[in-house]
Amino acid sequence: MAFKQPPDDLDDLVPEPDAEPSAAELAHAKTFASLVDKTLAGRPPAATSTDDRALLEVATVIRAVSGNADLSSAKQRSLVEEALRQAVGGRMSGVSTAIPITRMRAKRAPWIVAAASMLVAVAALILWLRSPREIVITMRAPATVPETWKSRPADALIGPIGREHAGEASARLDTIFADRLDGYRERRLHGGKP
Amino acid sequence: MKLVIALCCIVSVASCSQRKAEPEGSVTQVTDPSEVIDQKLMLALSLAKNFHHTAKVYMSDGNPTAAIASVREILSLHFPANAPEAEDVRNDARGLLARLLVGQGQLEEAMIVVKEGLASASRESFFSANLYTVKGEIHEANAQKLDADPATKARATDERHRAIESFEASNKIDKKLQEQLMESR
Repeated sequence: MAFKQPPDDLDDLVPEPDAEPSAAELAHAKTFASLVDKTLAGRPPAATSTDDRALLEVATVIRAVSGNADLSSAKQRSLVEEALRQAVGGRMSGVSTAIPITRMRAKRAPWIVAAASMLVAVAALILWLRSPREIVITMRAPATVPETWKSRPADALIGPIGREHAGEASARLDTIFADRLDGYRERRLHGGKP
Repeated sequence: MKLVIALCCIVSVASCSQRKAEPEGSVTQVTDPSEVIDQKLMLALSLAKNFHHTAKVYMSDGNPTAAIASVREILSLHFPANAPEAEDVRNDARGLLARLLVGQGQLEEAMIVVKEGLASASRESFFSANLYTVKGEIHEANAQKLDADPATKARATDERHRAIESFEASNKIDKKLQEQLMESR
């Protein structure tokens, strides 16, 4: 079928903004409008020029984006039926190649488990091979606690007890108590750590 | 997929990591609780202090029997295990108790208290030296008591010798400990 190539407006000089459209332009616009109507009605032309095809695609996209594209009732029913079947895990009908997600996971699960097991085994093997062969014995050094925090003999604090002071046990105990209280408070203030 | 990525990370970390020897010592190492001054020790010292003060009040009030009972309470106080202060406080209380008993003429009971203290002492201290001093005083008191009767003159002399031995033991301990303290400083 012969197709009459319409004049390409882009090849012409750009008309002035306020210039009246020519008869050829009006005819071309009318022809393209009928093409758009047929395409949107589901009856696209068998053959179109490259420029018209590009313009038709743009027109189709604009219509789809504007939300005015409606599916036929038969197509709507078909899609809803298909979605419901997939939701209940039923078999696919027609030419649809969509696979339920659960079935996809079920197919991949054995491979994932096998791969995970292999990786864990490799990690364990690497750890075993890299573990030190010699046994390292470390001596834990005792914490350096200030002497004043320790429970200790009171000899250095009290000194020799003369006969004349032998009965002053109460005063000596007061001295010991005050000294140990200082150490106790200091230790508590430091949270028990030197 | 996430699981596979996580496992790959584990393998990478395992291959990169190396076991390190545990560092010697630690700044966060907790001190052995048995060696530090704790609440239990402070409580025991506080109670002993109170009993001493109570005994002083009784003595100033002319009630030596109550004072003796108060000092005896110190001997039954519960101190933390292995706290050196416990032995020092108890031996000091024993010295005071023995002196109070001597004042009441209970020389035999006083000697028992002193000997208990010396027998239980795990180390030499100024407090055990004080016990030897009190022991010497008890021997002296015994000697004075025996002097009254000419038939017991020899025993009195013997008691005086024992008193001298006790004082010498006390001095010996004091001298030794002072030398140790001087060396440590």
